[in-house]
Amino acid sequence: MAEVIVETRNLSKVYRDFWGRQKVRALKALDLEIRQGEIFGLLGPNGSGKTTTIKLLLGLLFPTSGQALVFGRDATDVSKNERLGYLPEESYLYRFLNAEETLDFYGRLFDMPTAVRKKRSAELIDLVGLNLAKRRQLKEYSKGMARRLGLAQALINDPELIMLDEPTSGLDPIGTREMKDLILKLKAQGKTVLMCSHLLADVQDVCDRIAILHQGELKELGRVDSLLKVRDETQIRAKGLSESAQAEIRSVIERHHGSVLTMDNPTTTLEELFLSIVRDSEARPGRRAKQDN
Amino acid sequence: MVLDSDPVAFSNWIVPALLSFLTSAATLCAVALVGGYLISAFRYGPVGGGDVIYRMVLGGVRDLIALSPRRILALAWLAVQESLRRRVLVGFGIFLLILLFAGWFLDTQSNDPATLYLSFVLTATTYLVLLIALFLSAFSLPADIKNHTIYTIVTKPVRSGEIVLGRIVGFAVIGTVLLAVMGLFSYVFVIRVLNHTHEVDVASLRPVPNDPNGDRAGRTSLAQNHRHTLKIGPDGTGSTDMVQGHFHEVTAQESGDKTTYVVGPPQGLLTARVPAYGDLRFKDRAGKASDRGISVGKEWKYHSYVEGATLAKAIWTFSDITPERFPDGLPVEMTIRVFRSYKGDIEKGIRGSLVLKNPRTGRASDEKFFIAKDFYIDFLKIPRNLTDPTGKPLDLFDDLVSDGQVEVWMQCLDASQYLGVAKGDLYLRSRDASFTLNFIKSYLGIWVQMLLVTSLGVMFSTFLSGPVAMMATLASLVLGFKAQFVLGVAKGAIEGGGPVESFIRIVKQQNVTTQLEPGLTTTVVKWADSVFMSFMTAITGLLPNFNQFSNVSYVAHGFDIPPDAVLVQVFSAAGYVIAALAIGYLFLRTREVAR
Amino acid sequence: MNQRQRFIRKIAYACAIAALLLPLSWLSQPATQDGSKGGLLSRMRQEYSLSQADLGEIDPASETIKLATLGMRGVAANILWEKAHEYHKEEDWAGLSATLEQIARLQPNFVSVWVFQGWNLSYNISVEFDDYHDRYHWVIRGINFLKEGTQYNRDEPRLLTDIGWTIAHKIGRADEHVQYRRLFRDDDEFNGSLPRSQRDNWLVGREELLKAERIVARGTPLKGKSPLLFYSRPPMCLVNYAQTMEEEGTFGEVAKNAWKKAGDSWVEFSNRDLPTQYNVLIRLSEKEAYSKKADEAKAELDRLTPPGLSDKIAAEKRAALSDEEREAYDTPAERRTKEQTNLAAAVGEKLMVHAIDIADRITGDDHAAAFKAAEDGGQADAMARAIDIERDIVNYNFWMLKCQIEPDDDTLGARKAMFDGDRAFSLGRLEECFKAYDEGLKLWRKTIDKYPSLLKDTEVTEDLVISIGHYRSILHQMDRQFPTPFVLQDVLDADALQKGPQLPAGEAPATGTGKDSAGAPENDPAKAAP
Repeated sequence: MAEVIVETRNLSKVYRDFWGRQKVRALKALDLEIRQGEIFGLLGPNGSGKTTTIKLLLGLLFPTSGQALVFGRDATDVSKNERLGYLPEESYLYRFLNAEETLDFYGRLFDMPTAVRKKRSAELIDLVGLNLAKRRQLKEYSKGMARRLGLAQALINDPELIMLDEPTSGLDPIGTREMKDLILKLKAQGKTVLMCSHLLADVQDVCDRIAILHQGELKELGRVDSLLKVRDETQIRAKGLSESAQAEIRSVIERHHGSVLTMDNPTTTLEELFLSIVRDSEARPGRRAKQDN
Repeated sequence: MVLDSDPVAFSNWIVPALLSFLTSAATLCAVALVGGYLISAFRYGPVGGGDVIYRMVLGGVRDLIALSPRRILALAWLAVQESLRRRVLVGFGIFLLILLFAGWFLDTQSNDPATLYLSFVLTATTYLVLLIALFLSAFSLPADIKNHTIYTIVTKPVRSGEIVLGRIVGFAVIGTVLLAVMGLFSYVFVIRVLNHTHEVDVASLRPVPNDPNGDRAGRTSLAQNHRHTLKIGPDGTGSTDMVQGHFHEVTAQESGDKTTYVVGPPQGLLTARVPAYGDLRFKDRAGKASDRGISVGKEWKYHSYVEGATLAKAIWTFSDITPERFPDGLPVEMTIRVFRSYKGDIEKGIRGSLVLKNPRTGRASDEKFFIAKDFYIDFLKIPRNLTDPTGKPLDLFDDLVSDGQVEVWMQCLDASQYLGVAKGDLYLRSRDASFTLNFIKSYLGIWVQMLLVTSLGVMFSTFLSGPVAMMATLASLVLGFKAQFVLGVAKGAIEGGGPVESFIRIVKQQNVTTQLEPGLTTTVVKWADSVFMSFMTAITGLLPNFNQFSNVSYVAHGFDIPPDAVLVQVFSAAGYVIAALAIGYLFLRTREVAR
Repeated sequence: MNQRQRFIRKIAYACAIAALLLPLSWLSQPATQDGSKGGLLSRMRQEYSLSQADLGEIDPASETIKLATLGMRGVAANILWEKAHEYHKEEDWAGLSATLEQIARLQPNFVSVWVFQGWNLSYNISVEFDDYHDRYHWVIRGINFLKEGTQYNRDEPRLLTDIGWTIAHKIGRADEHVQYRRLFRDDDEFNGSLPRSQRDNWLVGREELLKAERIVARGTPLKGKSPLLFYSRPPMCLVNYAQTMEEEGTFGEVAKNAWKKAGDSWVEFSNRDLPTQYNVLIRLSEKEAYSKKADEAKAELDRLTPPGLSDKIAAEKRAALSDEEREAYDTPAERRTKEQTNLAAAVGEKLMVHAIDIADRITGDDHAAAFKAAEDGGQADAMARAIDIERDIVNYNFWMLKCQIEPDDDTLGARKAMFDGDRAFSLGRLEECFKAYDEGLKLWRKTIDKYPSLLKDTEVTEDLVISIGHYRSILHQMDRQFPTPFVLQDVLDADALQKGPQLPAGEAPATGTGKDSAGAPENDPAKAAP
């Protein structure tokens, strides 16, 4: 088994107000293990605790109880950041700098020598396709461009672990595709990726494993393929069948004591799963939906 | 110049100062440790709390080791960029405007324009730079946290200390550049404003009656609200009298049968006297030694008075008097206050005399008489060759100085009239330092204040939101400038009581000297005030006293800023900066930046 | 729940804002064309002519400072006052005057600031200096400060009055007035192109006071100042001018003209309509006319009154008294109880037989005439008394008399002779001194015979007594007897009477702290006299 890169043990976070009164239990006793080389997706509706988890792992928040470990070190330990890249939910960059200055600045924060910095930022600007805009101040950037530069800054130190908070938000379909390709490319380079999203399609496409959170609780965790396999259902998709052929198939199913559910455009099953979890969770809060894997 | 406190020698200051710095640092650390432990023990239990503290300290040490100059400079560079973006140049523009309009709202009739203009530019620069430093430093970090741009910083291997230090360095760089440019402009402004010349009022030139040299006297034209009288010798050179702290040289040039008079630039206007102060003691009217002279009932206790025609004397003891230092004798400068107990002859001033005495042998020179010039600096040169009261010749250094010490005894000669003196009122003007250098030194004082405000601002911004951090810094600044007042109120030396009491007095329109009606309310009010004021005293004690860093009065009054004072300022400021840094580090490290 | 709270809070805020807006709109409602005077603020603005352009020069520097304080002008001014106080305490005059300047620029239309600080400079700071040249310099600084104030506050009689007062009285009445007046004459910067002969502080000060008068004549109200005192100042300046001339040894035509001019000025003043506290306008000169009118009315009434009517009315009035009243009235004053004393006073009032009582009882054809006479007489009498009160306040009778006596050739001669005698005395020229005094005393005799009321003038008697002292002393030195009977014995007697029993031998204790003793401007200028 590959090395564990990220681990949370019983990780909980309670937000309190100024007077110390409890306001929100943002995360409840989360146990996770993310291993080297996998793409792990955190999934959940808004306010489910995905971003809190990422922030806890980055040390931007401190856990109320439990532990968050990155590279086996406490998440609050700054030295873990040497091997880590982070793309925040929105690109929180300095709007008065241009792309080159931005990357150079972040490079210097990694204590990188000038030559390395130069080379690295040139590569990254190339990679995210901002070559033509590299001298423009960020305040003139579109959201997509800023997003791409955000990714570039996350990669400036060639990190082993990359945390992506909503990587495709604000991107057009092409941008989304490119981002997904890039994530897969990073995986191919042997890097570990932790991403969170509420866009199911993204997660479904690229993630090896996902965890579904709702109201701060872990509802589902497992490999994407096994999670989506519904054992007592079969989906048939075919092309070029005539009416009579379809009737024939129906009769075959009936003969085997099955019943036809649908035979038209299939829905995204992750969405189904997701919605059922959310419904279930709202009906009976505090319960893990299915004990599986 | 008013000498508020004795000048401090750096060599005497540094060791106790360092010790007190270390003790307070140790105390602070201990308090932080214990307090931190208590809080974490409350949250995580005794063992867990101990563990948290242990890791905290360990992390602190690690962070200290991992401090990277490149990262600090990168963050400083970012702070500079941010300042430029936040239109720090507007501040500079305001400064230029102030200089431009200064002539309009400064007192054009002042009889001391040099003091006025110097203190104006220095004070304006101070306030402006401190204000800019305040706004820059207090809002920067909170803005980063609010905009979440801090996320991309703290997820890099950046230590909290580096963020704090980087900001301080960055804003200090901006402040330094601003100060340098402002200094240059101020310097040029002052020189240009004060520079002037007169013309000789030829019609007024008349031979001086009964003058063996054949000098002529007259007056100059009016310029900058003053005119001089002048004396010109038969050789065509001469000079004017001292008015508004300066004089001009005058030369007459003959071309054919026409004589033109040329008045030179003002001289002695911008000086940096290096005074040698003596220790002052008194003898009362019966000749008995005493620490102070008589009080004539002024609110300000600075001067102490010597009664005329009695045995009362003011005695200064000067040290390090060597022929090398004063080859031509002692250049004495004095400003002696006058207090008349009756009008006397209005046309005549009050007379006094100086006698030089050997502190060991008691030998004395004969009396040097003077007329006290209230509020003006009077110069008296005491030559090497003197005579004693019987007319026998004396040598200053051989007969009157022993162990490098000489005493100057001053007395008032007119009965029932008084001369007022303070330690700084009679000194030896040992030499003149460069005014330009002095000006730069005063800017160094402003720089130090700017650094302090920046550090405080950044420190507060590590745990407060922008506006609150700004207010906190501003409050520290006000408290730092008004430390004397706060302490005065706390000690009851200032009438009117604490905030609650004075509020009641304002509402009731009650005079500060009338007693409040005794009763429960008054007791409660007094108690509340005393609690509040002891709290304020404690805070004031922690904050730097900003007046201590101001060198304005030195430069404005034409005195050299003692190098030791500058050193003391720099070092004590360094102490505060280190403390602010440590506190800022601690707060930022223990802060959840994502909240 | 939460949302509802927020909603309620918002409503509450809105209500509070609306509630605050109501009085605001009432206060600041602007004036409109159709006669509405607008809200309180607008009315007050009008009343005090507070628009910037109404007040005087609008100074860009001042406006810049105001802007730079970001609306916190009051706070800034407070801080500066505090600073000014500190500078004053620590005797940093350069700092103080610079700060005052800044305060004034910050609130240039605050007249009290100019007045207070101008006063501060001229009176309080000047005396901190030992050299009278410095003192003079600060007096002038104060005057210039006030003058600067007039540029911002055009129609402000208060400032001009203070300028006039400081020039006239600070320079002319301070202990250093001899030096001040000399410096003032030599002051080319202050006086500009004014010829030296006219550079007299009394005359220059008077000009400023007249400017204030002209502004008031144009309709600016005289806030908080008594018109009587206000208008009495310019004539007083002329009186002081004439007096100072003589003190400095200028007699002859110059002094005569000065006195005449002063007299004219007093006459002019006495013909001015002055408001009084009784809501009538009076003229100081009209007292005699009113008195005469009252007398005539009385005579007319007397003529119409049948003999014995007055006594009859008195008897009737007495008869109408109650027993208690009569008893109180009849008890000798020293034996009355407290109540009786009060009662007796009231009865006294009751028993008075007024002109109107008499007129009431006159019947027939004379009734109307008597009634008119009684009414006219009462009115004229009231006016005469009102004028008398006002006259007393400014010492009118005394100054009018003085202006009449002084230009008299005998008086002038007497004064000149005594002046010459005093000078000769100080120079030790006995013979010359004797002659001058001898002549002077004789002339004084003539003058006093002509104007016996001079004996009541302490200024005259005191001066004379000093000179007589000198005279006595030179007689002694010349081995001559002090003549008896002495020609001016009545002056010596009058002086002794005024001073009362003499102090025991020895000088009066040395007092004062070297501070100036010139009076305050609010003091009545004429009060210095008897």
